[in-house]
Formats: sequence, C-alpha cells, structure tokens
Amino acid sequence: MDELTGKALILGMSAIGAGLAMIAGIGPGVGQGFAAGKATEAVGNNREHGGKPATLVMLLGAAVAETSGIFSLVVAIVMLFANPLVTREGAFIVLGASALGAGLAMIAGMGPAIGQGYAAGKAAEAVGKRPKLQSSVVRTMLLGQAVAQTTGIYALIIALILLFVNVWA
Amino acid sequence: MDFSIHVAKVLQIGGLEIWITESMVNSWIIAGILILLALFVRSKMRDPEKVPTGIQNVVELLVDTLDNFSESTMGKHGRKFSSFYAGLFIYILLSNLSGLFLGPNWNPEFPLPVNFMRPPTADVAVTFALALITFFMTQGFGIKSKGVFKWMKDMTEPMVLLTPLNIIGELANPVSLSFRLFGNILGGTIIMGLYYNLPWPALVGIPVVLHGYFDIFAGVLQSFIFVMLSMTFVSSAMD
Repeated sequence: MDELTGKALILGMSAIGAGLAMIAGIGPGVGQGFAAGKATEAVGNNREHGGKPATLVMLLGAAVAETSGIFSLVVAIVMLFANPLVTREGAFIVLGASALGAGLAMIAGMGPAIGQGYAAGKAAEAVGKRPKLQSSVVRTMLLGQAVAQTTGIYALIIALILLFVNVWA
Repeated sequence: MDFSIHVAKVLQIGGLEIWITESMVNSWIIAGILILLALFVRSKMRDPEKVPTGIQNVVELLVDTLDNFSESTMGKHGRKFSSFYAGLFIYILLSNLSGLFLGPNWNPEFPLPVNFMRPPTADVAVTFALALITFFMTQGFGIKSKGVFKWMKDMTEPMVLLTPLNIIGELANPVSLSFRLFGNILGGTIIMGLYYNLPWPALVGIPVVLHGYFDIFAGVLQSFIFVMLSMTFVSSAMD
C-alpha cells in the first residue's frame, strides 16, 4: 500500500468532490420530470391545437433546466481530468479541501434546476391551453428561468475560484 | 488540456505592461467583420427601393425582427434603444458562435498558425464589461427619467431599513448577468476541449451534436437572455 502523500490527498479529495458535485443532478431530474408531466397533461387535454406547442415549450424549458447539471458535470470533469490543484504549491490539506469545497458548492445547482423545471412545466401547461400566446409565454419563461439561475451561477463562480485561483497565496 | 486565455502580445508603454489577450484580438476580429458587413450592406443600399429585393429584403427582415423584439420587451421605450440592443445582440451572438470558426492561433503548444477561436464571451473580462454597460445604463437612464431625488427615494423602498439590501441587489445584477453568459460559454468550451482529447473513434459524428447543444443552442439562448435581461433592467429603472 502506498503511503499518504500530499498529491494522493488532493486526488482523493477531488474524487469525493467530483462525486458530490454530481448530486446536483437531482435538480434537473425533478424539474424536467415536472415539466414533462405538465406537457403530457397539456397534450392529453388539447392534442389538436396545443399538443405540438406544449411539447416544444417543454423541450426548450427542460434544456434550460439542464444548465445546472452541465455546470456540475464541468466542475466534476475538470477535477477528474484536468485538475489544476495537483500542480499548485501550497498546503496540501488546503488544496484538497478546495477540491472538496468546489464539489460541495455545486450541489446548490439543485435549486435553480427544480425551479426552472417548474417554470417550464407551467409554461407548457399555459401554451397547451392557449397556443396562440406561445411566443410571449416562452419569453416570460426564459426571463424567469434566467433569474432563477442566479444562485447556481454564484455557486459556479465559487467552485471555479476554488479550483483555478490561488486565494490564500 | 488548455482552457486558459492566451496572451497574444505584451506591450510596454512607459513602464506599464499592457497585455493584448486572445479575447481582445478575437473580439476585434468579430467587430471588424461586423463593421465590414455593415459597410457592404450600406453600399448595396445607397438608394433603397420601395419594394425590397435581394439583400435589402434580408436586412429589412432582420431589423424589423430586432425592432419588434426590443419594443415588445421594453414597451414604449423600446424604439429608442433598439439600435443599441440589436448591435449588442448580434455582437454577443457572433462571439458565442465564434468557437465554430477558425482564427489566429495563440497557443504556443499548437503547431498550426490557425486554430478554432476561443469565444471572447468565455472571458469574464469581456462579459463583465458588457454587464457594466447595462449597470451604468440602468442607473443613468433611471436618474434621467425619474430625477435624482425620486431615484434615491426608490432605493429606500419599501422601507428605509432595506436600503442596504436594495444597494446590494443593484450591485449583484451586473455580477450575475456577466457570470451567466461567461459560465455557460466557458462550460461549453471546457467540455468541447475535453471531448476533443478522446481517441479518434469517439470524434466521428458525435461532436456535431455536442456543438449543436453547447455552441448553437446555448450560444443563441444566452445572447437572447443577456439582451432581454439588460432590456428589462433598463426599462424597469425608467418606469
């Protein structure tokens, strides 16, 4: 068995961090599931006129709700394949904890994703009822989803700072 | 794997080091292409026809669409701002899509003189500059249309105790606006960069789908969202 070196500590913490970051995947799952459910309901109620627009709006909204999951994936993949902490000078425990913290921060992505999925579902429902209003409903949905993304963006900033910026140099 | 912003040249002016980065050069290229395109359209449309044909048709459609977009988002103020926001939208859109095009190579480890461009919007300096324009426009047009006292009084709404929170909220707007664009485009850049390091059988066909999502879908959506949020901030500060 190899001894515990500083590099091994960083890599181990990065492994935990990458795993933790992916917990955020719960968010897109719940949100997109809700959107899919609402779109299905809309298609069932008004298939002739509202079916196609509702499906379109659901797909667009679900793609936006995926953003947080992709941010988490980026942070996890960077920690696994392009870890900038391994070559950095500094106390190993701090560098390892930075990897862990970056992963933990990304869990926040759950919230925005659930919220965005909820917005997408409601938009699909509205478009199913009144297909003529599609463009204004989509616009409002995108605006709200963009604002809902804000806290997830803050989490991404902190995670990227922990990984790429030498804060305590 | 190298996602960092490469430095094209370091200028020495009076003891000051001025760094010309890849993002700056790429955004000059994009701005140059847009200016040339505008001059070309202008020379083609010296005397516009009553019934549009050819290139005039396309340009009228584009301008009409962008005018309608800003008018429906900003209400009665829309017309005044539509030329600015249309330009901003086209610039951000082209920046986001620039990763699909070839440009000069600044990576010293890469053997060829040309390489796929690194989108300027994947640099926080660029997106933060764009967001600061929005921030100063929000405050400036707010003061202009409401007057200084009304503007200061609105900061204390709904109660005086909440003034610090209102100020923090105003200051957080450019941060979230710039990092939303930056994070999305950088995420796409990182994922594509990592994907291209896979062995070659994985590189047949699949990158088309990934570029479709990360560059085209996310690029168009994020430029739309950036401009729409900026419009909303400015027009709500004016009411």
